[in-house]
Amino acid sequence: MSTAPTPQAPGPGSQAGGAVRPWTDRQPEAAGAPLLRERLVPARQPTYVASWTYAFGVLASAALIVALASGAILSFKGPAWWHVTRVGHFFNSIHLWAVELFFVLMVLHLWAKYWTAAWRGGRSRVWIIGAISFLVSLPTAMTGYLSQQNFDAQWLATQAKNGLNSIGAGAFFNVTDFGQMYSYHVLLLPLALVLMVAAHVLLVRRHGLVPPFELEARMGGSASPPSTPPAVERAHRSRP
Amino acid sequence: MAAIFHLDHPAHYVHWHFFEMSVPNVVAIVAMLVLFLLAIVLPVPGADRRRRGSSS
Repeated sequence: MSTAPTPQAPGPGSQAGGAVRPWTDRQPEAAGAPLLRERLVPARQPTYVASWTYAFGVLASAALIVALASGAILSFKGPAWWHVTRVGHFFNSIHLWAVELFFVLMVLHLWAKYWTAAWRGGRSRVWIIGAISFLVSLPTAMTGYLSQQNFDAQWLATQAKNGLNSIGAGAFFNVTDFGQMYSYHVLLLPLALVLMVAAHVLLVRRHGLVPPFELEARMGGSASPPSTPPAVERAHRSRP
Repeated sequence: MAAIFHLDHPAHYVHWHFFEMSVPNVVAIVAMLVLFLLAIVLPVPGADRRRRGSSS
């Protein structure tokens, strides 16, 4: 590990000569620091991002955060609290509608990215991880329905049990076992989903938002964003 | 919502040849399509000003 200071490009709050620089800009050049500074919380975006279709992804992320927060409160109070108290009903409803919105916004995000071929310009990993996140979110929500502790959950569990038994998976996923489904729902699957979404967002920040087809044509067929930092641009160019 | 809409009954279904879907699901899908179209056609406030600023 080197402790020697490394020269950095002047940040937005710096003065000529480097006398004043905000503390957020004083990061070591190790392990992703340029990505964090230039890409993670960008102050400016290309003008083509000024479309509501680009908002679905971040709105889905916001809905996921609300679902996680309300789910944490529900799990903290135990798996019967939401049936017997008004506050429990409230947080149960918040959790349900946050998940409903998450799925609606995620599907709208998927439509927007599909019709704009958002995997262009070396963004295939972003697309694939997003698709896997969508697939992981399905059992995450389904196990939530099984964790309701009511007749609806029992009905869904027996229907799903028949389906899983018919494909030979009933021995591995016992959907009538509340403890197994509850631990899947509050720990294992949300953890996997959050990790996948975090990787998806970091890759989006790493590669930038995909430009429209017309702009890509004007850029000579390159779908790299105009605001790509020099280090990232060099990395793109160095690929075979 | 339950006080506004009577929800204590099985969902109604839309059935048209091979197509069969509950009314709540049809409403959700149509609402998503409308939202998607609105997101395409509605301008973002201030977008034109920012475009002019970036081109000058």
